[in-house]
Amino acid sequence: MSYSTFSASSHDATLEPMFFGRSVNVARYDRQKYPIFEKLIEKQLSFFWRPEEVDLSTDRKDFMALPEHEKHIFLSNLKYQTLLDSVQGRSPNIAFLPITSLPELETWFETWAFSETIHSRSYTHIIRNIVTEPSEVFDQIVTNPEIVRRAESVTRLYDELIELVNIHTVHGAGTHTIDGKTYDTSEYNLKTKLYLTLVSVNVLEAIRFYVSFACSFAFAERALMEGNAKIIRLIARDEALHLTGTQHMINLMSSGRDDADFKQIAEECKPQVVDLFREAAEQEKEWADYLFSQGSMIGLNARILGDYVEYITNVRMKAIGLEELFPVRTNPLPWMNSWLVSDNVQVAPQESEISSYLVGQIDADVDTEDFDDFDL
Amino acid sequence: MSGIPRIKVNHHHTFYYQYEFSLLDALEVQEIPAQYNCRGGYCGVCKVRLIDGEVEEVQDILVDLADDEILTCSCRPKGHIEIELPE
Repeated sequence: MSYSTFSASSHDATLEPMFFGRSVNVARYDRQKYPIFEKLIEKQLSFFWRPEEVDLSTDRKDFMALPEHEKHIFLSNLKYQTLLDSVQGRSPNIAFLPITSLPELETWFETWAFSETIHSRSYTHIIRNIVTEPSEVFDQIVTNPEIVRRAESVTRLYDELIELVNIHTVHGAGTHTIDGKTYDTSEYNLKTKLYLTLVSVNVLEAIRFYVSFACSFAFAERALMEGNAKIIRLIARDEALHLTGTQHMINLMSSGRDDADFKQIAEECKPQVVDLFREAAEQEKEWADYLFSQGSMIGLNARILGDYVEYITNVRMKAIGLEELFPVRTNPLPWMNSWLVSDNVQVAPQESEISSYLVGQIDADVDTEDFDDFDL
Repeated sequence: MSGIPRIKVNHHHTFYYQYEFSLLDALEVQEIPAQYNCRGGYCGVCKVRLIDGEVEEVQDILVDLADDEILTCSCRPKGHIEIELPE
């Protein structure tokens, strides 16, 4: 299976599975196997925003006045968010595009990853506005051991999938020994790796991101760093869409509707999937301890954030048909909801109240009768 | 089936729909604790099970739903309905 940027075969893409079928030929959306991805693309496009639209001048003053331990919480959280979006801005394209077989799914990946690049640009916008020397913040992302440890577990499956697909592209299916390491590039093993990678992406977007959002919104609940919260709110709106997309793929796969192999893979991988959720939840709790190691802030401490980790992990596991991992509890941060409601997101005045602002929308529903009262 | 739609909710009371925008709004008016996040039909947090009756969409739903599942933020009852909120 060598990747072709334009496969000239005349096959009907609607008969292909989502992944590991024939490469996409024409990017056409008149016939779709899964119209849901087109809907997601449209929604994502309607959400378009730019970080420069949000004014951060008050945030700078707020930040200067924060006590040291709250500066630590704010900056560490921002660094973690920067890491997550650095990964998400490129990885879906690199990992999934070469193995995708449906045009609408291919375009969803590109639309999704593009919106992550806007998030990355937002972090630069925020950091540039609140500190004098942005490099001091950015440089620590690759040197801070707490963040580096997270990066490893966020990217491991992505990297393994990319490596395996590359070896498969060059050497074909089978068992290959390269530099003393053995790789199983059978189709079944590739599919297993893909399934696990999608779960790990889901964990990243549906749990890790939300823990970081909670910290950003906790400042704004005290009327601090509100520009930042405005940006994070737009990011959260995008992430909700991305995680729905990933849940869709996972559910389509594990039901066996798309490709019968995945039904068995999902069943076999269940223990590993649960481990991915457990590992992320544990790491996020450790992260909460690190964030609040120098002191808590009003409204949020390591224990409450840890409870939120457990709560959100349960919600996300249920969404892909898994048993809850932690004792059932109600949302320990009920105020999060008001920050996650999409219709309250306000970008520019003309866009207030509506989430999908359409540029140049016209009323095409005009009847000849409408001209009856015109006289010449 | 005619008249004002009646909504039956497990562990809570049965009430009449007062033509709120969505089923979620109707539940909130009744002070029934219903989960939600985005209210835009894409996060899936407000998912409940429709045990009986029919609903109609009031906005696009982007979440993967089983046959008997509905998003309270994105639909309203067409007639009498019975729903089951998650534990």
